[in-house]
Amino acid sequence: MKKPRPWLAPAATLVIAVAMWFYPDLVDAAGWPIFYLLFAYTVFFWTAQASSWNLFTGFSGYFSFGQGAFYGVGVYTVGVMVVKRGWPLLPTFLVGGILAAALGLSIGLVVFRLRRLRGEIFALMTLAVAFVLGAVARISSTIDGGQGIPLSSVPTPEALGTHPQMIFRLGLITAVLAVVVAQVVQHSRLGWGLFSIRDDEDVAETLGVPTFRFKMIALGLTGFLAGLSGAVHALQVSYVTIEEVFNIRVPLMVILMSILGGTRHWMGPVLGALVVHTMSDRLNRAGLEAVSDIIVGALLILMIVAMKEGLYLRMRQRPLITAIGAAVGVAGGFVLGPLDSAVTHLGYTLLGAVLGAMIPVGSRRQRPERGAPAAQAIEEVVGG
Amino acid sequence: MADLRFENLVKHFGGVHALDGVSGHVGEGEIVGLVGPNGSGKSTLINVLSGHYEADSGKIVLDGEDITDRPAHRIIEMGLARTYQIPRPFSTMTALENVSVPLMFGSEPMSPGAAREAALEWLEFTGLDAYADEPVSSLNLHQLKYLELARALAARPRLVFLDEVLSGLNPAEVNESIEMVRRIHASGITIVIVEHLVRVVTSLATRIMVLDRGRVIADGDPTEVMRQPEVVTAYLGKRAQSA
Repeated sequence: MKKPRPWLAPAATLVIAVAMWFYPDLVDAAGWPIFYLLFAYTVFFWTAQASSWNLFTGFSGYFSFGQGAFYGVGVYTVGVMVVKRGWPLLPTFLVGGILAAALGLSIGLVVFRLRRLRGEIFALMTLAVAFVLGAVARISSTIDGGQGIPLSSVPTPEALGTHPQMIFRLGLITAVLAVVVAQVVQHSRLGWGLFSIRDDEDVAETLGVPTFRFKMIALGLTGFLAGLSGAVHALQVSYVTIEEVFNIRVPLMVILMSILGGTRHWMGPVLGALVVHTMSDRLNRAGLEAVSDIIVGALLILMIVAMKEGLYLRMRQRPLITAIGAAVGVAGGFVLGPLDSAVTHLGYTLLGAVLGAMIPVGSRRQRPERGAPAAQAIEEVVGG
Repeated sequence: MADLRFENLVKHFGGVHALDGVSGHVGEGEIVGLVGPNGSGKSTLINVLSGHYEADSGKIVLDGEDITDRPAHRIIEMGLARTYQIPRPFSTMTALENVSVPLMFGSEPMSPGAAREAALEWLEFTGLDAYADEPVSSLNLHQLKYLELARALAARPRLVFLDEVLSGLNPAEVNESIEMVRRIHASGITIVIVEHLVRVVTSLATRIMVLDRGRVIADGDPTEVMRQPEVVTAYLGKRAQSA
């Protein structure tokens, strides 16, 4: 019986976060390109979004397409309140999170009260909320009015450094917050309650899990973290429009990242965000913008089919072959070149590790997915 | 104390009267056998009493407190636990994790760490401790039924509903399970057991309730109840009775 150490992961995350806080100074001192900061910020952004999505959907199994709505509420809170009303920036971030959490709780209050609501209907309802919000924002001139909002003039806190340094640090804070919350939840009663809801909600309820309350708490946390991250992201886009915010891109990306990385562990969305963003960034940089979505999409399908349990658990089950793969990736990077950027190096290393983990060698026992064959076999024996 | 009373419980599924005015009581220390032909409403009664289904009408009272409209997680907190006829383990968890879930909730919730340690005791009680870290997919039907038991007992109930814990088992496993039920009862837990095997019910139960088409047709001493003409008819049909 393994002894769980719930404090270990958050403590390690915080130590890494403190070290990373000074990364912009290193970039500055070493004269590295600013792109290194922006690349890292985008990984932080997707890490925060994917971790937030996974906290509710990955842990509880209720499939949500509502991520775009939470994210959009965050972006537009900064757009409307800071640009149009002149609110101070930092408190508005919190307001963005709180409004998105309130949206999550309102959706939950309606949806979870309707007892017989099936999974697909929940997914469609969350998708509809994003479109409805987008339509409302487009009509309402106090929000957007169809004109979009320019965000480049937002005054930013100087204490956090230049604009790229500031966006890096804000992104770091939101990502670390989302990851630590996910870590704490995963090892708490809330996390176990959500896992049992995911496996069998009726049984969870009859074993004492307050299913309604737990789903509400999780959806509220998801909304808060996604709204906060969206509010910070408003500083990274110079011009915000309805079409770019309330669309299907954010939900699809976080779903892909989380499922690729693995939804049962907090590390899954983190790894997924890193791998997916690095791959698509490098393909774009290589001048393959037109086909990069096709290549990334094909790779994702391959990975998800080959590793149903998710990349993270797969790598943990076979650390040796993953490390060999990563080493081959590093070496391959030198051979193939040109190594114009450390990000390309990272790309080759991740690709090597992923391909290594995918190699179908005899693995140790794996946990079954939902709808395990055992349950079906029982149904045949008992139900027949 | 575990004194459960229910009056005029009605539950319809579309046009089907699964429960058509069922009343009864379960007293402290009893082993009540709940029997009846297929579709007579036994499982529905357990589902309603455990809060899994909401009754259309009727009243459920535990120790003088009306619990009719309580959600299921509050009912188990008050000491009413149940098992499922077809085992429904949490399929992505190990056996130990399955049993630790009810320990984290209820009237005295434990932290996940403490729950894992306490869960091991219930796996030992049901003889599953060797499988603690196994995924549930590696357990056979007999073991999964015991896992259902361990999970229900881990909720520290005063009364437990056992829904066909013996069905699908071979004779040796049935005998072992009967002993298990006796041990659970001996530990001070009141039991309501649904069972098809009449031999088993009559040997275990202190009282038997017979359901037929959503109604209680007999309630009393096991051997006497099973001889009543209505019960024989319900089980075997008219000709058997006259023969």
